[in-house]
Amino acid sequence: MNAGKSLDGDDPGPLVRPFAVTRGRAGKDLHRLDILTLVMAARTEADTTGLDREYRDIMGLCQHRALSIVEIAARMNLLLAAVKVLVGDLIDAGYLIHRPPRPAEDRPDINLLQAVLDGVRKL
Amino acid sequence: MFANSDARSPGLGDARAVKLLIAGGFGVGKTTLVGAVSEIKPLRTEERLSDIGASIDDLTGVDGKDTTTVALDFGRITINPQIVLYLFGTPGQDRFWFMWKELSTGALGAIVLADTRRLGDCFGAVDFFESRNIPFIIAVNCFDGADIYDEDEVRRALDIDAHVPVQFCDARDRRSSKQVLVRLLEHLMTTASAL
Repeated sequence: MNAGKSLDGDDPGPLVRPFAVTRGRAGKDLHRLDILTLVMAARTEADTTGLDREYRDIMGLCQHRALSIVEIAARMNLLLAAVKVLVGDLIDAGYLIHRPPRPAEDRPDINLLQAVLDGVRKL
Repeated sequence: MFANSDARSPGLGDARAVKLLIAGGFGVGKTTLVGAVSEIKPLRTEERLSDIGASIDDLTGVDGKDTTTVALDFGRITINPQIVLYLFGTPGQDRFWFMWKELSTGALGAIVLADTRRLGDCFGAVDFFESRNIPFIIAVNCFDGADIYDEDEVRRALDIDAHVPVQFCDARDRRSSKQVLVRLLEHLMTTASAL
């Protein structure tokens, strides 16, 4: 769990040229990915040997668990917009499945709130 | 989390992520509170201002380069196999998180963390959540050496509605911070039931 950038010590910030890894394709977010969109490997043990390093790193993080876009960005030390492009590519190629976060509803979901409250009380 | 025993077709099933926001002034203890209850050490992520839709007019006084970023610290609590709760703390020296629509959209609610020595630092967050109809509570972080105010004094100083809970806490303490989350979620339940 220490792969991400911790908050200790000097913070170098994101990569200097964050969109080098996306070949300059900033903002081409065709899947409307949210910071809380969950993604997961479509198949366990998928063959990722032909992929660029950043893609392989994402696949490694999402191999056996669902992970949010924001957590992938933090663990890879990349800007969110760059991670959305990379994850979008992996969704297009069938490597990742994704699930949007709870939609912003007019009416809050009481059952959801109760479940969250129950979970927090158990901490 | 979200373990699935079927190795051929792991699915996201009913998994979903929800979020709460923790706002307040610089140094008030937002990341400390997140860290006190999070199951992971708080992580930091950043976004370019241009990618969160901030217009040039909004950036008066900001470094003119397009590399200006807004940072977020966050933690995670796995509620159950279906629900994961993210807690987002907004770095206090940075007023530009207010422009980050994606951050507040869909948030269940918010905690405005206050320091009684600098109550004015959280006016911006209170205004923001009131104007967006995002339910929130005030959590007063009781620093050593800070004057002890009672709830009514805090309430009057912040000019908040009577139904907004005010909770005193020690953000360094896990049980105390957990109680802040419980108070917020109870408030969210009450607010939702009244609709």
